[in-house]
Amino acid sequence: MTDSELKGAVLPALKKPGGAVRDFLRLAMEKELADAVILPMKVPSGDSFAWILMNDISLLDDAVPIAATMPVQGAKALRSLTRKGPGNLKIIAVMRPCEIRAAMELSKLGQVHPENLILATYDCPGAVQLQKYVDDPAGSEEYFAGMLQKGKPDDSAKPVCHTCENFSMFDSDIHFGYLGLSEKEVLVIPGSEKGSALLEGLGLDLTKDLQAWEKGIDQLKADKLNSRKSTFEETKAQLNGFNGLLSVFANCIGCHNCQSACPICYCRLCYFDSETAEQDPDALITAAEKRGGISLPVDRIMFHTGRMAHMSLSCVSCGQCSDACPVSIPVADVFSYVADQTQRTFEYTAGRNDGDPLPLRQFRKAELPGVHELVKDADAEVPSHE
Amino acid sequence: MSEWQPKILAILCNWCSYAGADLAGVSRMQYPPNIRVVRVPCSGRVDPLFIMKSLQSGFDGVLVSGCHPGDCHYISGNYVARRKFAVLKPLLEFIGIEPNRVQFSWISAGEGERFATVVTKITEDVRKLGPSTRLVKKL
Ligand code: SF4
Ligand code: SF4
Repeated sequence: MTDSELKGAVLPALKKPGGAVRDFLRLAMEKELADAVILPMKVPSGDSFAWILMNDISLLDDAVPIAATMPVQGAKALRSLTRKGPGNLKIIAVMRPCEIRAAMELSKLGQVHPENLILATYDCPGAVQLQKYVDDPAGSEEYFAGMLQKGKPDDSAKPVCHTCENFSMFDSDIHFGYLGLSEKEVLVIPGSEKGSALLEGLGLDLTKDLQAWEKGIDQLKADKLNSRKSTFEETKAQLNGFNGLLSVFANCIGCHNCQSACPICYCRLCYFDSETAEQDPDALITAAEKRGGISLPVDRIMFHTGRMAHMSLSCVSCGQCSDACPVSIPVADVFSYVADQTQRTFEYTAGRNDGDPLPLRQFRKAELPGVHELVKDADAEVPSHE
Repeated sequence: MSEWQPKILAILCNWCSYAGADLAGVSRMQYPPNIRVVRVPCSGRVDPLFIMKSLQSGFDGVLVSGCHPGDCHYISGNYVARRKFAVLKPLLEFIGIEPNRVQFSWISAGEGERFATVVTKITEDVRKLGPSTRLVKKL
């Protein structure tokens, strides 16, 4: 499906984009085109959201399709549901683009089976940082309403949202678009055959051309790409050399929360939580004797770089790791920057659903000439990470 | 105290480089005694963490050697290994490991001489760099 021939249908949006999404889902369930839906719902205390799998239409009234913050990455919810196979329920999941992208990565890793899922995204304005939301739910809702109106993040949003270029339709089955349109309409756009079949089944009139919406997206994308460039420059300067990295992670308490919150890190037992990762006490004492002193424990930088080596090719820059860090380390800023570099090596974008396998599951015969060449200039200084 | 000697971990593929090392040995070729060999079934088996862990445990350098392109016993393990190393290399530089400390090469079972050359090269490179102090950070 090329962009030019792609058309969408208009949904009435009297209740703002979220309301239009809810009405759409209600219709899909009523017409039995979906057995259930997965949506965020406010938790009883009112200061957070949880993913709810619902097949009772009446529950939809309390759902918040476009939630202000994201406590649990949606891909984790999809994994818990489909990790053993697609199941036989047809389920529509409405999630942020970075959540759908993480689900796509997990499906390439055999952890999500999306065959019976209909993945729906929307123009994501960003998400409020979790801590801010928990501290002040009412105020955060106001911030988020403003973000939703402008379609872009403000200061309450996660830092990675400001540099996110994949905030809109990204290989989902259906997409709800509202950017660049009047406040009264929301577009529903098919992104796959599965998505088209659903919209046809619902009898939606797919005749609306997408120009206005596409223009809105392009404008915002240009802004985001600019801020992405400048932010990455800053991160690069900040991380310069080993000491840069050390100072960013200086306060890391080694809780591994960043890893538990990460949708990509699905391993049940991470190497870094295992006995093998521990240093032998005798070796530490020998090292201390040889060097006059060493810092203990020694594995924090290992943990972070090890994680980068293992998963940065699949990092979707969702920012969950930063939200989870109890000592406010900007983990996601670092991972997002590193991911940009490593994914660029293979011209890969995490979350693409174009049949392209993970970079480490494929290769070209003639590529990456520098890797096996012995480095010529042995006296060279440690280069900066360009 | 005698002169400092670099300690280098050589992770060698069973089907090529390890046999290449053997050939160098039976041909009585001379190469520095600074390597400690670990045999793996394929260079594709080498997880980036093996390399980081060796440096953390006190090795001053790491050599990973597998079959030449097209010669992998398992058809494509060495190509995938190359991709893994391409990700790891900038990360190592990122944490301040000089590029010459970790080297990758292709050595076939028939290349005893090449094995000796590669080992001599990395030993001298690492000797110039001095003892590795990263990962186990000196205060
Ligand atoms: S590393 Fe952080 S930003 Fe990247 S996918 Fe994991 S949680 Fe999201
Ligand atoms: S969540 Fe923060 S403190 Fe915990 S391991 Fe990650 S970076 Fe360190």
